[in-house]
Amino acid sequence: MGIEHNQWRGIGLDRQVQPASSNPVIVNGEMLAMWRGENGPVRVWEDRCPHRGMRLSFGFVRGDSLRCIYHGWAYRTDGQCVEIPAHPDLTPPKTICAASYPAETRYGIVWTNLERAAPSPLPDLGPEDGWEPVRSLYVNGSAAQVEAAIEAFDFGAPSMVRLKHANAIALGIGVELELLIALQPVADNRIGLHVVARGASTPETRASLARRLQRLRTEIEMAQEKK
Amino acid sequence: MTITLYDYTLSGSCYKVRLLLRFLGLAYERQQIDFFPGRQHKSLEFLEINPLGQLPALRDGTLMLRDAQAILCHLANTYDTSGQWLPRDERFGEVMMWVMFAGGELMNSSAARLHDALGYKLDIEAARANAHAALRVLEDHMTGREIAGRKWIVGGAPTIADIACFPYIALSGDGGIGHEDYPALRNWMRDFRRLDGFHAMPGVAEFV
Repeated sequence: MGIEHNQWRGIGLDRQVQPASSNPVIVNGEMLAMWRGENGPVRVWEDRCPHRGMRLSFGFVRGDSLRCIYHGWAYRTDGQCVEIPAHPDLTPPKTICAASYPAETRYGIVWTNLERAAPSPLPDLGPEDGWEPVRSLYVNGSAAQVEAAIEAFDFGAPSMVRLKHANAIALGIGVELELLIALQPVADNRIGLHVVARGASTPETRASLARRLQRLRTEIEMAQEKK
Repeated sequence: MTITLYDYTLSGSCYKVRLLLRFLGLAYERQQIDFFPGRQHKSLEFLEINPLGQLPALRDGTLMLRDAQAILCHLANTYDTSGQWLPRDERFGEVMMWVMFAGGELMNSSAARLHDALGYKLDIEAARANAHAALRVLEDHMTGREIAGRKWIVGGAPTIADIACFPYIALSGDGGIGHEDYPALRNWMRDFRRLDGFHAMPGVAEFV
């Protein structure tokens, strides 16, 4: 509802996408596979094998190819099918190609845009250095409820909104800590939060922030239930 | 002593026991029980083995045990000389806490699967909601473990807590419970599937 098509949205934390892994992600009802080769950046594809429609997020990675779990068809990082195990001598035609979405990694967050042909530029949310991943979490609530709750939430020190973007909020907390929260609309009433911090240099600080975010999630959902 | 597992291939609870037997390298006999459609676990003969009419059951010599979690504890306690799978130190309580969680809250995922795959009559919305609530509890825990640089539910090596939790998280999709919201669980499951001695079951991918 009212969700703009051509927008960049955070869908995961770069550090949490293991090498040689494929992962299911839903953005505004669209099913995506977020995968990484044994090396290299995260790719975002339609979660559908061109062969029989199997979800590619169930697939497995060998080298820099994503293979479908169903018949083992292998797709190169540009989406091109490069091997069909049942026909080892066949060079797959160019038309057999997985559908890919734009994917960028910045601030430790993986971003994608459902506009494939002419995506707008990735928005500038400030300097890129010093961000550490905190966690991803998913909340039952609308984008408006989640944003309002983030702005009102007690992070343990006085917080101030530093920047508000269509799908991201940057906060200053106390004097040392900055949070960047990317919002992923999964459905009208379900939002993913991908949170990175600057100034949270120790694992203990990040673990404490991660627990604090569970509390934010509970607050949002308790307010929902009261309605 | 001969170990006999009263087994059903498609049961996630039986799979827990098969996993540990394999990790421990124990030879055992499988007595296949026709859970569906035969309902052999409710037969007069099987009720003498387990009066609760549930799978798995395990005979170890003269000992007859029921409940996957109890069987995991017995096997680790009896045959794991390393103590890795059921640590007897300060980790013991936390391992048992997650083992109980696997036999408790997490069984909502099993219920949803029985509904979707075998047509069991139950409140599917409640089962899915409760399963998601359970997955979220372990997701939060494993998020903290990742931040601390740890891979497993308790301590520095896999335990029966990981074995007990793995099947009904890995199989949750069969009950309409996706893994989209659980990045830490996805990473943990992938690490689990890479363990030496890991083997799959229908619904759990062999390839990692």
